[in-house]
Amino acid sequence: MKLKVILLTLICFLNVALSFNANASDQFNWRGFVAQGVIQAQNSNYIDDDGDATLKLTEVGINASYTLDTNFRVAGQIVYLNGGNRYPEGLRVDYLFLDWRAINSLDWQVNMHLGRVKNYHWIYSSTRDVPHTRPTIILPQSIYFDAFRDVALGVDGVAIVANTANALGEWEFNWSYGNSPISEEQTKNLIAVTASGDIEQKFVHQGNLVWHNQALRFSAGLLDSKFKYVSGDQDAFIDGDAQIQRLMLHGTYDAKHWQLAFELFRERSIYEDLIFPGFINDSTSEGGYIQGRYFINKDITATARLDIFDLDRKDRSGEKRAALSGGTVPAYFGFQDQFTLGASWTFSENWQLQAEFHRVKGTGRLAPVFLPNTIQNDHKYWNIWGIQLAHWF
Amino acid sequence: MKGLLSRLAQVTVILLILTSTVVFSKETPVSVLVNVEVQTDALTSSQLRKIFSMRQTVWPDGQPIIVFVLKTESAAHQALCKDVLKMFPYQIERLWNKLAYSGLGDKPTELSNQKEMLEKLQQTPGAIGYMLNINSGNKIKKIEVVGE
Repeated sequence: MKLKVILLTLICFLNVALSFNANASDQFNWRGFVAQGVIQAQNSNYIDDDGDATLKLTEVGINASYTLDTNFRVAGQIVYLNGGNRYPEGLRVDYLFLDWRAINSLDWQVNMHLGRVKNYHWIYSSTRDVPHTRPTIILPQSIYFDAFRDVALGVDGVAIVANTANALGEWEFNWSYGNSPISEEQTKNLIAVTASGDIEQKFVHQGNLVWHNQALRFSAGLLDSKFKYVSGDQDAFIDGDAQIQRLMLHGTYDAKHWQLAFELFRERSIYEDLIFPGFINDSTSEGGYIQGRYFINKDITATARLDIFDLDRKDRSGEKRAALSGGTVPAYFGFQDQFTLGASWTFSENWQLQAEFHRVKGTGRLAPVFLPNTIQNDHKYWNIWGIQLAHWF
Repeated sequence: MKGLLSRLAQVTVILLILTSTVVFSKETPVSVLVNVEVQTDALTSSQLRKIFSMRQTVWPDGQPIIVFVLKTESAAHQALCKDVLKMFPYQIERLWNKLAYSGLGDKPTELSNQKEMLEKLQQTPGAIGYMLNINSGNKIKKIEVVGE
């Protein structure tokens, strides 16, 4: 699916591009960013297995767009990321799609994207790897769970982005359908290090409706996704299926010198087979964050955030799960609450320094998800700190 | 979650009341200007927000819209955001960054001063921009801002 969609997009691009003789330099735009930092997650395997300070905080990206005519353009971005254990390290196509401006009037704008499209449904999802567009280096893990990053980043498929306005305010509608490739490393992050099979995302179907005026913004969205696991050689797991259904709400309030933001979700996860034939696990997790940002001056912003995640809304303390595991999985794997203080300083045009500290209670958002790593994550309370220099152009 | 939602609802109502009482001055030193060949004469604040946030990219007659802006710190840009778009400058900058780094669109072309703005507006078909204390001129025309 992935290759097919990318090839299809490229073929569309080349076909249309070759039919135009216009001055390409007027229609071609390119930009990029580069960021390097130092980070440490003590007493956990979040960044590195040993919990020491590391330079595994590298984000580099370059993007380009080519406007074919008033209705069609092509946009793509390549990124190199190294986040330690947070997600697989390496070069990847972040997005590459054909953008069709289906309706482009003063009152309605409707775009259809075909190819590898971004997740436009959450507040920071479409630019989560671009340092100067996000409030902190580490985003709230209840929503922006790093082990799930590649799956949540976007889809190989189709998306519609629509905008309009009426007497009630301004409205946006985002819809997407497709699937994401899941690497071997990501499979181990999602299930367990002993999993040698392959996860295939059958589909992810997502939509959200946004109302906003100049100060307030609210969104409600739904996500439905199915996965299939095909076991490998000498695998500790058997073939299985999973379904994830998520309800999401988010809102922001922008004032002259400060901003409030929140995102909330409730997610039902159903696992079938996987451990033994007939195994079923149907549970609902909940979480979200509230975040305040204060613009001290035009260059310096301070951020404070409380992020809460409960793996099972009927077992918020994690005690039932701990008992079911016979004590092998501590109760603090059932939740993860995280308080963050951070600051960013734009010290020169297109240069930013960002620093932050996180106090974390619980390990419910540490990979692997299905069979947790209880050896390296043996602390209920742990800390993260990071500092990152970013330049964009 | 219910408790949290209820709290959020209360905060929302308070914020709605606060934002509904914000009054923006109608007297502004900034004029929205276009190349004289642009057929449109009047736009609402909402339509201008779509144009300056790069979501609306063609004029009603199909001609591409070319957006020129001045530096964020400039008095003209500050006045455009506050009086015409009714946004804070950081909000529109955030929108441009989201567009430029997620593939949704492109940033507008930033010019260094009003002289350059005037030249670009005069020379570029489909151009839109803004200037302080200028209502008309050779090869440019002022756009009337008509309500929300």
